[in-house]
Amino acid sequence: MKNFIQNKINIHTLWLLMIALTLLSYAMGKFGFSGLISVLILLLTAVIKGTIIIRDFMELRGVSLLWRVIMYGWLWSVSLSIAIIYLFST
Amino acid sequence: MTKILELEEPKLLPGDLAIWFFIFMELLVFAIAFIAYTITRAQNLEQFNEFQLTLNQEFGAINTILLITSSYFVIRAVHAIKLDNVKACINNLNIALGFGAGFLLLKSFEYYDKFSAGITLSTNTFYMFYLSLTLFHFLHVILGMIILGAIAFKAKRGNYSAVNHFGVESGASYWHMVDLVWIILFPLVYIIR
Repeated sequence: MKNFIQNKINIHTLWLLMIALTLLSYAMGKFGFSGLISVLILLLTAVIKGTIIIRDFMELRGVSLLWRVIMYGWLWSVSLSIAIIYLFST
Repeated sequence: MTKILELEEPKLLPGDLAIWFFIFMELLVFAIAFIAYTITRAQNLEQFNEFQLTLNQEFGAINTILLITSSYFVIRAVHAIKLDNVKACINNLNIALGFGAGFLLLKSFEYYDKFSAGITLSTNTFYMFYLSLTLFHFLHVILGMIILGAIAFKAKRGNYSAVNHFGVESGASYWHMVDLVWIILFPLVYIIR
């Protein structure tokens, strides 16, 4: 099963996954979802897409830990900051 | 046993190290802008929620798909050049440029719509942020397209191959950064409320 999933993960399927996640974000906006849970889902969606960009499109998988910490650190710190500020604003 | 003890050397960063320092700097600037937007939004919740509804979410979503698809063709171009397939590399770069142009066109429609309604940077705090953030990103898309165009041109002249593909990787990395920034910008400005 693990091998089956790994075989299906390639740039083509990841591209389709990112489009699906974008449509999910759009639908949440269109249907007027708001509140902390919605924001967390939207940010998680962005983090998944960002991870795909960094790991598979920028091809940073396997590079020195320092570069990965900078890139994933940027993604997570920006997303968490937005979530925390949102939490204190409501 | 010896196999277990062998440590794999980390891979080198794709492309030129200088482009990565440029990318880190750009990401830092955008991170500050995103956090400034979020803090200001928290202080002006009603205004931000009211004027966010005037944005075209369809255009925002389509633009996200255009940039993601453009990035997809850029990575295909990188893979092609690593296989010494110069023609496929050029074709994929041209398709990526087409999607980038689609992004610029759609964003221009959005700006035209807003500017013709008399909206400017000084209309209110929300629009000041919306216009500055997206225009700043818009300029990065233009720069990214110039870089991709230059790479496609150099590829046509036979400057890249399976052995020498640093230039393609450097330009691709910059373009993916432009995409990465939009992936945060889209939900933050268009959707989150």
